[in-house]
Parts: sequence; C-alpha cells; structure tokens
Amino acid sequence: MSNIGWKDVLADEMPDDLAHEIDIFEGQMELMGQAKLDEKVFAETRLRRGVYGQRYDNGQRHDGFESRELAFDEKDRVKGPDTLWHAPGMQRIKVPGGGLTPDQLDMLAQVADEYSDGILHVTTRQDFQLHFVHIEDTPDMMRRLAAVGITTREACGNSVRNVTCCHLAGVCQTEVFDATPYSEAYAQFLLGHDDVQDFGRKFKPAFSGCEAEACGLVMMHDMGYLAQIKEVDGKPKRGFKVFVGGGLGTVPHQAKVLSEFTPEEEILPQTQAVARVFARLGEKRNRNRARIKFLVAKLGIEEFRRLVDEERKTLPHDDRWTAYLDTLPHYEEKPTRPPTFLNGQVHSFEFNQWLETNVYDQRQEGYSVVTVNLPLGDLTSQQSWELADIARKYVGDNIRTTVEQNIVLRWVSDADLPALYEELRAIGLGDPGAGTIVDITACPGTDTCKLGIASSRGLAGELRTQLTAKSASLPDAIKDLKIKISGCFNSCGQHHVSDIGFFGNSRRSGNFKMPHFQVILGGKWRDNAGSYGLAVGAVPSKTVPEVVDTITSRYVEERTKGETFQEWIGRIGKKEARSIIQPFMNLPAFEQQPEFFSDWGDPRVFSLGDIGIGECAGEVVSLFSMEISPAESEAFEAQIALDEDDPARAESLAYSSMLKAARALVRTQFLDVGDSPDRIVEEFKSRFFDTELFFDQYAKGKFGQYLLDRHSNPNPDPDNDSARRLIEEALLFIEATHACESKVGGNVLVEI
Amino acid sequence: MIAPHRLSVKFFFEELSIDVEDFIPVFHRWIRENVVPNELLLDVADYKHIVDGPAILLVGHEADYVVDLTDAKPGLMYVRKRDAGSDLSEALGTTLSQALNGVKLTESDVELKGKLKLRTDAATIVLLDRLNYANAANGDGADTAAAAALSQISDNLAPIFGDDTTVTRVANDPREPLTFELSAPSAPDVDTLLSQLGSAD
Repeated sequence: MSNIGWKDVLADEMPDDLAHEIDIFEGQMELMGQAKLDEKVFAETRLRRGVYGQRYDNGQRHDGFESRELAFDEKDRVKGPDTLWHAPGMQRIKVPGGGLTPDQLDMLAQVADEYSDGILHVTTRQDFQLHFVHIEDTPDMMRRLAAVGITTREACGNSVRNVTCCHLAGVCQTEVFDATPYSEAYAQFLLGHDDVQDFGRKFKPAFSGCEAEACGLVMMHDMGYLAQIKEVDGKPKRGFKVFVGGGLGTVPHQAKVLSEFTPEEEILPQTQAVARVFARLGEKRNRNRARIKFLVAKLGIEEFRRLVDEERKTLPHDDRWTAYLDTLPHYEEKPTRPPTFLNGQVHSFEFNQWLETNVYDQRQEGYSVVTVNLPLGDLTSQQSWELADIARKYVGDNIRTTVEQNIVLRWVSDADLPALYEELRAIGLGDPGAGTIVDITACPGTDTCKLGIASSRGLAGELRTQLTAKSASLPDAIKDLKIKISGCFNSCGQHHVSDIGFFGNSRRSGNFKMPHFQVILGGKWRDNAGSYGLAVGAVPSKTVPEVVDTITSRYVEERTKGETFQEWIGRIGKKEARSIIQPFMNLPAFEQQPEFFSDWGDPRVFSLGDIGIGECAGEVVSLFSMEISPAESEAFEAQIALDEDDPARAESLAYSSMLKAARALVRTQFLDVGDSPDRIVEEFKSRFFDTELFFDQYAKGKFGQYLLDRHSNPNPDPDNDSARRLIEEALLFIEATHACESKVGGNVLVEI
Repeated sequence: MIAPHRLSVKFFFEELSIDVEDFIPVFHRWIRENVVPNELLLDVADYKHIVDGPAILLVGHEADYVVDLTDAKPGLMYVRKRDAGSDLSEALGTTLSQALNGVKLTESDVELKGKLKLRTDAATIVLLDRLNYANAANGDGADTAAAAALSQISDNLAPIFGDDTTVTRVANDPREPLTFELSAPSAPDVDTLLSQLGSAD
C-alpha cells in the first residue's frame, strides 16, 4: 500500500511498447528536473505525449486591474520556454476515429477525477482533453490509459495528430464503404513512424465515406481520404480520392486533389511519401508558414504530386502497407442486441423531440445511432461511467466521439430507444437538439487556452441557453444552422465551416479594450467542409446573441423557397451582410456600458494581458535532438536499475541507450536505418566510425569502440561492475554522439 | 496510513438563495485579494452548463473550491490536490480545516453574506486514490484499506464533531472513489470546529 505504484500494479496490463515509452517519458521528466535536458527539447517531448501548456502557465495572470505574478514554487523550474513546471496544464488524449469502449470511458472518468477537475472535454478532433493537470501526475495517468489501450503519444506537437473519421462510418446511409478500418490502420501505421518525426508543424488527417455530407471534413485537413470504388479489369476496386494541403487556421486553405484514385494498397506508402516530402521541404523556421498547406501552395499541386510520386519510388518496402487489408473482410462491429423496431406507441413530446434531432437511422435495418448531446463538449466523471454502463447495456463497444464535440452510441436496437432516452435523461445527457443551432461548437478559448483572446465557451454557453429557451418557436429554416466559435483566429472551433461563425478578437474604446468576435457567414459544413465563410466585421462580444437574432431573422424574411443560408449569403454579398451587423459595430465608452468591457462568464475587466505563446505549433527542434533524448533517458534508467541491484536490466538499458544514440546520429544522414541493432551498428560504423567523423581529437575512436565492442561481444551474465562500466561507457558514447552531431552539422539528408 | 493522492470534503448548503453563477465574481475577487492563506489560487472554471455536477470551480494549485451540485445536493466541496500531509490523518486534518475555512469565507463574504448557509452536521469525504484506497466491495478481503481508512477517519472526527458523530462508507460503484458520509447531529459551528482543529485564524 505504500511503495507500489501504478507502474507495478499495471505491469501486466500495459502493452510493452506503451509501457516502455511512458518509462522513457518519466525518465525525461527526471532529467528535466535535474536541468540535464534542453527546455525546448523537453517541451516538444512532452507535447508529443499530449502534455500541453495551459493559460497562466508563465506565472502571470491579469486580475482585471493588473497583471500579477502567480506565486508558484520553484519559479526557475520550467517544462518549456516560459512554462513553469508547477503550473497546471492540459492533457490531450488521442482517440483514433473517436472509437471508444465502455472500459476506456470508465478509465477516462477515473483519471479525470484523480488528476484533473473531474471534467472530460471532447474536442473538435474527436480527442479528449483534461485540464488543470499537474505534470507529475502524467506518467501514471498515461499508464492507466495504456492499460485500456489508449495512448497519448503524438496528441500534440509537430506530429501526426488524431486521425479523425466520420462517426457514422459503417452505418451511414450514403457512404461508399466503411472508412473505419482504413483510418485505424493508418493511425496505427503512422504512430511513432520514423518518417513523421521531423515535421515543422502538426499534420492532421481525416477519413470520409461520403462526398456530399460533412462526414470527415476532408477539405480542411492536411491530408484527407474520401472513399471511392472504381472498376478495374471489370471488378470493383476500393480506394480513396486523396486530398492534401487543406487547413483552417489564420489563412484557411481548401485541400487540393493529390490523387483522384489511390488504390487501398497504396494509401499508406503514398502517405509515407507525402510525409517525407513535407519533412524535407516544409518550412521549419517560420512556424506561421510551416503547415503542409503552405508547401503545397508554394510548390503547386502538380509539382508536389511529382515529388510525392518520385519519393514513393524510393521507399523501402514495408509489409505493413498491405498487411491490414487481409483483415478487412472480417472487420465488423457487433451489436449487443438484435434488430427491433419502434412500434407505433405514443411517446412523450420530449422523446419525440429528441428522436427527431438525436437519432439517425442506420443503414442496417432495426438499428439507430444516438447522439448524446454534450453541452460545450463536457461531461463529468460520474456521467462518464454512467454512460459507459448505458453503452454496455445497449450497444457494447460501439461508442464514438464526434467532431461536433458529442458522443454517439451506435447499433441501438430501435425498440430500445425510449428506455435509452430515459436513462440518458436521468444522468443529465438527454438534451435534444444534436446537430442543430443549439448544439454549438466552441474551442476552449480564454477558459484555458494560452492563445485565447475572447471567451468562446462563455459565448457558446450563453447562446446555447438563449436559443434553447426559444427553440420551440425558432423557424424551421434556422433550426439546423451551424454555429461554431473560436477564441482566436486559429480556428480550433472551426468557425470557417459553419453557417454563422465567430472568432475572438478585441477593439479599443478609449483607454479600454473590449472583447469582440469577428463574424464569419456562409461557411459550408456539408460537402466535407465544402467552402469557407466570409468575414464581415467584428462586433462586441456582448452583442453577439442579438447579432445572431438579427442575421437569422433577416434570413428567414428574405430567403427564397429552398434557399440555403450559404446561398442567401452568396446572393446578398459581403457588403450587404456587413450592413446587417453594422449597427452593432459601434463601440460604447466604458462609462456608458461597462458590461461590454468584460467577457461572457468572466467579470474581470477585459485584457489581452494573459495571452501567452501557444504550444499548438510545438517547438522547432532538430530530429536528432528529439531522438537523442530517449537515449539519455534510457541511460538514466540504467543507473536506476543498477541502484535497484538489477545489473542485467541496467546493462541491457545501457546498451539500448547507445543504440538509440547511434540511430539518432545515423538518421541525420540515412532516414531508413530501421530498428535492427545489426543494421544500426553497421551504418554507424561505415558512416561515422570508419570515416573517423565520430573520433574525438584526443580519445580518437575510443567512445565509438564502446558500442562496437558491446554489440559484437554481449555479456550474457553481467554483474554490477560490468553493468556500471557499460553505463559509464554509454554516457560517454552519448556525449560523443552529441559532439559528432554538432561537428557534422546534423539533419543533412545526404541519402534517402 | 498513506496520504491519499487527493482528498475532498463537501459541506452542504442549508440555504442558497443565489444563482451558482454569482460565485464567479466572488471567486475572481478571492484570487485578486489572495484571501486563502497558504494556498495559491489560479482561476475560475465555469461548468454551470453541466447538469448535476461541479458548477463553478475556484481552481488552485494546492486545492480547488467547488460549488458542487452532484446528486442534487448543492454544497461547497474542497478538493485537496497536493501537500496535504504525510499520512491520512494529517491529510484529513489539513483538508478539513481548509474546507471549513472555505465555508467561513463563503458565509462571511461581502457579496454572499446572508444569501447562503452551509451545514456542519453532515459532509461527504472522498479519498481520490484508487491505487491506495480502492473502492473494493465490502467484506471480500480486498477492502482492508477502506476499512482502515473508515476507522481512522471516525477516530479523527469524533472528538471534533461530537460524540454522536458517525462516519459510514457509501456503498457506491467500485469505479467511483472511496466515499464516506459524516453525520454529526450535534456538530458545533464553523468557528468552534476550526478552533478544535487548531486552525482558527
């Protein structure tokens, strides 16, 4: 009950690779604590484990009157540039395709109440986020998640982020085929892949099954895959239309078609080729232009395509490209209950309202998808395990998160819908209105994000309350409009692709700043985020509910029969659209309307003083720096193993640390070295040892010889002395690796 | 017994004649005026949109103060997250005295005074530590830690809350943290409790 930790308790339940990665991260935390790791390297390291910064983590907070220092202990101790060690942060948890089991939901609930504030937040990329997490708690949190098959690896940082997939895939009425198993294979293949470790920025992929629906929103992704079937030699052949270079952010780009049809066996190697081109040619210094969309725009899609095709030819074969295809015929989801039908019984008004908005008829007769409408994407720990039990009862493992910050239960047998509704209602999750105007998407904004300018969640909560109160009287024409809100121009709330979007900014009135929202009208959610809206002007935050009323009223009055909101905005044009909001654009003086100078849900006088440096972009550090760091961590672990009187483990870790360091060095010249120890040593020897590049001015080849000796003469039964010696050699070898990389210049891709 | 990873104490409102969102400006002021001794207060989190959960949080470095509506029992919950003490007894003492300080601050706050009252004759105590205090089923041998914690908590609280104090374990779902209910029909007022805990300010 005292010295046993989660690491020991869960040793047999965690997959070895995940357990080892977490140990390495914990080792890196130790090294950081001892100031033995560069703060930028550690920042990127933790970001790649999903351990993110949060507002005020620079130790400053504006209290409405002035910016004040938050008196954290050990203010010299940091976990990244301007990020204090003890300041709480956010943990992002990747959920590929949003797919969850009840056991996983249980565990998420448990870690939320032990390590955060008891709230699980679903993001616009089907992830979960926990807030106010202390970094010391993160390794154990990761272990507990790993024990149920969840990894946080590459949830942030300059990496491949969560692979999203339509939450209806597999049960959709209009899809070409189920994209789920492809997205799963894709996520698994790219997780930790060597070719995705050297990006200048993040990389977001998505999978869709339908062209005309919103589905996976492929047009706004770095890389998007749209299911297609093509006839080849008289037989139907599965593949994907592949898009590249889309993205929202400050400068939204619609994705370009990389390939009209990529056969299923080619999607992984083609992606690998794209990753290599992006890693090699993408911007690394200017983070504002480092997403792949800028590279595609700069090169032009034809040249980009040519480079990818050339790159594809050089890739060494990998069995994993096609191995998963053999399992596809057996891929299926298993419903918990047999198909049934809602008979003609009379149900309550509330049930019928919920049925209309929150229930989708599956392609499979007798089954439905139920959307659990989460207010602002939040649910409590208690609601989570209660929801897990409901899922166990009605749908088993068929749970998914959605990019609209909800959760869906798939494969609900139709006759169960009334009972399911009552059970959801009993836990506070029976709200109707999923996917309608009241189901507003919002990023964290100023609540927790370092970049937030205005309170996106505060505004979303207010609009939700006001619109829900009058939902019964809302005209049909506006009931299904989408409202999406971002706290700044970075578009995490996906405001560009909503009918009515907002992003936070500010304006000055006299000596005071006033929270504002830029109004974006006419974006398209359907057609995979088919077009982006028009920015028509900024209005004070406190006027937004009235602005929404005014715009929607005008639309209802002026629309022609069947005219969509996008069509109406397109018809009236930007000038007229701006004139609608013009009356709200006047700025009162502070003395006239002081309430305009604070934000929704936050009574402090508005200030921009809390905006920090965002970590969305990650830290630009070299591939070598990232890859040498685990080597150092393993050498550190080796010392701990020796202290624990385990020389065999210590010796093995010391050797492994040398291999990792050698591999990091080799990969500055030769990316495809792979993981085989023989190959790593062979390449190290031919490239750095035989050429004497690794040689020290005085010690000559001594340090490199340590690795060559250990590799060719393993010690089958190391004792404490021999283990200690190897650890010392490993430390010297790692130091020599650093010296060599500095001397040679690193990151020079001389051979592919 | 080892100090739990986190420990919370929730006192219930006897009266509450304001909306939960009225706590938001109060908590912001508490941060600005640094009203809680020995604790660093950081931010206010607004979760009033969630049904039956934590509505408004005053988030701190060592502890959170939560206007909590869970189970339709509104109350002020104090969640001690770190530096509570070296063992369960010390952690309980720290948590309880700071929770009672929170009650006192709330009841006497210039904007809240007269609009709410918290009871001291009942509370919920939660050990948020499934590693050391698993919420295993009663009587199956796996709940040794839970039984020992119950005994420890009872022993510690009776002298403070009165001889008729009872602490009972809540038979909740094993996935939930280990939870106890305190009943103390003759509990004294907050100042007396703080005085008996030796932490009156």
